[in-house]
Formats: sequence, C-alpha cells, structure tokens
Amino acid sequence: MMQAVVSTASKWLSGLHRTWLRPRGAVVRSQPLPPTPGPVYLPLDGIRVTDGVGHTLFEEYAAHRAEARGDEETGWVLLGLREATQAVVLATLPAGAQRDASVSHVRFNSTAQAVGSRIVRQADRRLTILGVVHTHPGSLRHPSDGDYAGDSQWVGHLRGSEGIFGIGTADAHPGNGALFAEQPRPHVQTMGELRLSWYSLRAGAPVYQRLPVSLTIGPDLARPLHSVWTTIEAHAERLERLARQQTGVTFAVTDDDRGRALVVQVPLAEPGAAVRARVTEKEVRYYLVRDGRLLEADCTDDRVDRGIYLLLAELAAQE
Amino acid sequence: MDFRPLNDTERRQLIGALRGNAESDRAILLDRRDTSFAGTSDDVTDEEVIFAIKSVPCHY
Repeated sequence: MMQAVVSTASKWLSGLHRTWLRPRGAVVRSQPLPPTPGPVYLPLDGIRVTDGVGHTLFEEYAAHRAEARGDEETGWVLLGLREATQAVVLATLPAGAQRDASVSHVRFNSTAQAVGSRIVRQADRRLTILGVVHTHPGSLRHPSDGDYAGDSQWVGHLRGSEGIFGIGTADAHPGNGALFAEQPRPHVQTMGELRLSWYSLRAGAPVYQRLPVSLTIGPDLARPLHSVWTTIEAHAERLERLARQQTGVTFAVTDDDRGRALVVQVPLAEPGAAVRARVTEKEVRYYLVRDGRLLEADCTDDRVDRGIYLLLAELAAQE
Repeated sequence: MDFRPLNDTERRQLIGALRGNAESDRAILLDRRDTSFAGTSDDVTDEEVIFAIKSVPCHY
C-alpha cells in the first residue's frame, strides 16, 4: 500500500518537474489521435461495370485476338470504388506490350500500370485497385488452380481483403452477332463470341464465388491513356521515380500539331510557373511555363527525369 | 502560401468532403505543413494502390 502511494507521488512529482522545466514556448507533444475509423467492408454481393469499361474490355479483347500475339493471354487491372457490399469498376489499366505472356500465362507490366494508376487517380483519390481481368485461350471460364495459388495470397492487399476476377474466353455463341452485349447469366457478359465471367475471392476462402455483374453509365477513366500506353511503358521507370521524388507532378494526355503525347508537369515555386515535358515513345521535349507563356528549352535528353532535373538545376543557377 | 482559387476538381472534392463530414461524420484531412485540405478518410494512398498493383501475381 505504502509502495503504491510512493510510486504515484513520484510519477506526479516527475510530471510536475518536467512541466516547470519545459522551456517557455516549447510545443507540448500531444498523444497521437486515434486512427479515424475506416469504412466497413462486407463480402461483395455484386459489381457494377461502367459502359466505358465494358467497351474497353470487349473492344481491346477483340483487338488483341487479331494481333500477332493474339494467341497469348492478356488482361487488365481494374480500378474503381469499393463500397460496403458493392464495387464500381471505373478504369482499366492494360497488361501492356511489355507484358510477359504466353498461351498459358500472363504477367502484367506493373511499372507502367503503377504510373497509369497515378494518372487516373489525379481526378479522384478514392479510386483503388479492385481486381484483374485476364483471358484464357481455351474455354476455361473460371480461374485456374494456378490463379488461386497467387490470388488467394494477393487479395489480402485489397480493400475488404477481397478481389474481383474476370475471365475472358472466346467461346460464346453469338445469338445476335456482335451488335450489342448480352447477359446470359448473372455473372456472365457476352458480346459476339467473347465472354467475360466474373468472380470474387476473399482472403481465406477455399474457392472463388460467382459475382453478379450489372452495367451502369459511366466512363473508363483510363481509356485516354491507352492511346499513349506504349509511351508510358517506354518511360515508366523514370516517370514513376519522378512522381515519387517531386511533389505536385501532374500528367495529362495532349493532342497538338505534333500528334498525341503524354505531358508531365512539375510546378515551380512561383505561382503558375512550371517545367513541362512533352513525352512520346521516342522523343522528349522540354518547356518552361512562365507568365502564361510556353518557352521551349534547349534540352534533348530522352531520359525524362534527367532532363527535368537538368532544367531545374539550370533555372536554380539563374536565380 | 498559395491563395489561388480552387480548380473544379479540388472544389468538387472539397464539397464532397464537407458533405461526408456533415452527413456521415467522415474526417476531413488537413496537410500538417500548411493546414490546406488534404482529402478525406475515404481517400486511398498512392502507396497502397501501387503496392497492390506491383504485387499482382502471374495468371494462368
């Protein structure tokens, strides 16, 4: 009893001593606030796919099959909003020309997809990764055992510890040709001979579940990027490094008199001023944006991060 | 400090955050350096998304 009283008094005196000896004006280090309670995620009971995303998946799947590498597997990462029991798919990031693929496997070019996710999420920071779609060359309409081995580990990284998995096959019976899509079953969409079958998988679950899918009106927020995807792939490592190192880097797709390109912009300290790079697969041009004017810089470095840093260093030396 | 007007995207995000705060008690996040609006608790970090993208397994 006496020991407890002495211990409490010592703690009180110690606290008082620290309070008195603290320098005036010193900041009181407060305890960190408890984390904000996050959203509650229940098992998914369905997904909504925007018509823009539906167009992308069916059109690019058909285009892929017509290419020289058309017999390989391909796929897309899906971005969107995760709600309590639903998810809305709003963007697709393609596997890329630099994917590692064959007739029996596909590994996406994830560095380009990381850059793509940064660009798409400029518009809405709530967008998250929901899952993947990949194709099977035969008629296996559900994920394989090999898919389960990887996916069952991976879904632990997703919101709600649950992922969405679409399987593309080319084994549908085109009842109405390819004029419009049909939905023969709640988890299946078809268009012409192409079929998408949708599943979900939760962490710890022994099998995938069929996932009812519905269409809603909306964009594929990443579609404008698909036309410059080879550019993104060609510069992905340097673009990703630049975005990690510099605050406020923005990206946009532009159409100008030279054609279509990716524009990367790094803000300068003065309001409205920036260093800008116009990036294509084989060429990078640099500009200074100042006082509403665009001045082309005399820099020909095709390594976009290096070119921007050289320009920033030159500007710093002028001040 | 930059006192420029908000652009359309920023204005839309701020209105959404204020509505979420009023209707659903969702937190509005402030930048610790200058107390500017830094999103809502619904936002997902680049690190979380990119880690998941880079971890996508091979599919068969």
